[in-house]
Amino acid sequence: MKILEIENLSHRFGDGTFGNQEIDLSVRREEFVVIAGPNGSGKTTLLRHLNGLLMPHVGTVRIAGIPVADDLRRARQMVGMVFQDPDTQIIGETVYDDVAFGPENLKLNRKEIERRVEDALSETGLSAFAARRPHLLSGGEKRRLAIAGMLAMKAEIAVFDEPFSNLDYPGVRQVLSAILALHRAGKTILLTTHDLEKVIAHADRLVLMAEGRIVSDGPPETVMAETERFGVRQPCTFRNGGRIESWLS
Amino acid sequence: MAELNFGYLPGDSFFHRLDARVKLIGLILISIATLHARMAPLLLLQGTALLPLFRIGLSPVKILRELRYFFVLLFFVFAARSLSTPGEALFSFMGISPTLEGTLMGLLVSCRLLLIALAGMLLMATTRTWEIKAAVSRLLAPVPFIPHARIGVMIGLTLRFIPIILHQVRQTQDAQRARGIETRGFFYRLTRLMIPLMRRTLKDADSMAIAMEARCYAEERTDPQLNAEKRDWAALAGAISICGFVILL
Ligand SMILES: Nc1ncnc2c1ncn2[C@@H]1O[C@H](COP(=O)(O)OP(=O)(O)O)[C@@H](O)[C@H]1O
Ligand SMILES: [Mg+2]
Repeated sequence: MKILEIENLSHRFGDGTFGNQEIDLSVRREEFVVIAGPNGSGKTTLLRHLNGLLMPHVGTVRIAGIPVADDLRRARQMVGMVFQDPDTQIIGETVYDDVAFGPENLKLNRKEIERRVEDALSETGLSAFAARRPHLLSGGEKRRLAIAGMLAMKAEIAVFDEPFSNLDYPGVRQVLSAILALHRAGKTILLTTHDLEKVIAHADRLVLMAEGRIVSDGPPETVMAETERFGVRQPCTFRNGGRIESWLS
Repeated sequence: MAELNFGYLPGDSFFHRLDARVKLIGLILISIATLHARMAPLLLLQGTALLPLFRIGLSPVKILRELRYFFVLLFFVFAARSLSTPGEALFSFMGISPTLEGTLMGLLVSCRLLLIALAGMLLMATTRTWEIKAAVSRLLAPVPFIPHARIGVMIGLTLRFIPIILHQVRQTQDAQRARGIETRGFFYRLTRLMIPLMRRTLKDADSMAIAMEARCYAEERTDPQLNAEKRDWAALAGAISICGFVILL
């Protein structure tokens, strides 16, 4: 069974514009999928359907076999999401409280919450920041905080919306290695970007979007040949016929 | 949001550790007591409220800055009192003649409000939103026919938004100063502040609601532990006796 199945999904906003049209996408467990497309191509809209923040106008989304609409709570626990602007994602007043927010909503007992929060903080290297105010963290640390939040929920699918925007080089490397650690731990990764260079070396699959539709889907090496046609910059090394190197090497 | 004001300041002071219910009751008691307090005990209490504020790292300058809008309000209250209370005129200038009785009364009322503001600031700086939520709903739980959980959530969220709104005020002001708005009149600046402020605040509120939903937010959640220990009962007894004194004095 696929962990994520999207069938014939279309979403129309209140003002009549289509955010997504006729999307079909299934992702197997532990796959690393990069979704690329220019601004306004419908990437964020698509991601928001995975945990029921948006509901499709037509079509269904299933997480491990069960439609999102049938069990929102389950979908939100299983799909962890890191938003494009990490500042808008901070809820707790300390780093610790922010990570605890999800497990508290699941009504877990205090002991279990403490265990999960401490584990999540140490896995993301944020233990030393537990008592800090999250708004004072750096961009890379804020995204790691969001990752800790999804670890504490025991999410299976980790969704990242443009995780590298507004990050400096060390920030990109921090976030990238945190994402790869999630992948190694067996999570399924979905990541959107309009900048392939930083991440494509690690992806199993590349999906291209334009004007709300999926226009290409396959192994990165094949799909990359078409990116420029749809407004996504080809990594230089690829254009020059070389192998793409990881930003971590 | 580097300088989050009027919000929670992580720490481990006496007031941080105090049960949120005790702090809330204390604030209510002080607010009631000040209505009957005279000048000397008021000043004494203000001093007492300032000490813990200094201790948790708020400098006098910071406190003044946080309260600057409040001082505008206080000025109007003071002016209204001193001008509208009948009595012996202090002086007369262009038809404006404040009275001695009015001026004293105005000072007293301003000091009362200031004390409540300082006590409120102490509560906000040392208590997490979710603790306040838990305290409100636990205190209201024995009252029949009241949706205590919902009221707790509403109060908690309202408080949570105050720092966000103040942050937006500052951002908007900075953006406008950068474009030289200081040369314009007060009312022009005020209207120019309010419109973007409303827009940004609503957008922030919306993002935060989405982030909370994405992490399974529910009214019924694991609340922070509130356990009243000896220390808390002692503090409550202290607050009651101080307030009793203030009223009787
Ligand atoms: N709330 C909304 N109301 C109306 N149109 C929207 C809304 N959100 C996004 N859109 C439109 O939907 C399209 C896809 O947007 P989005 O999914 O944010 O793209 P991306 O994330 O790829 O940049 C854009 O044309 C955008 O203008
Ligand atoms: Mg987007």
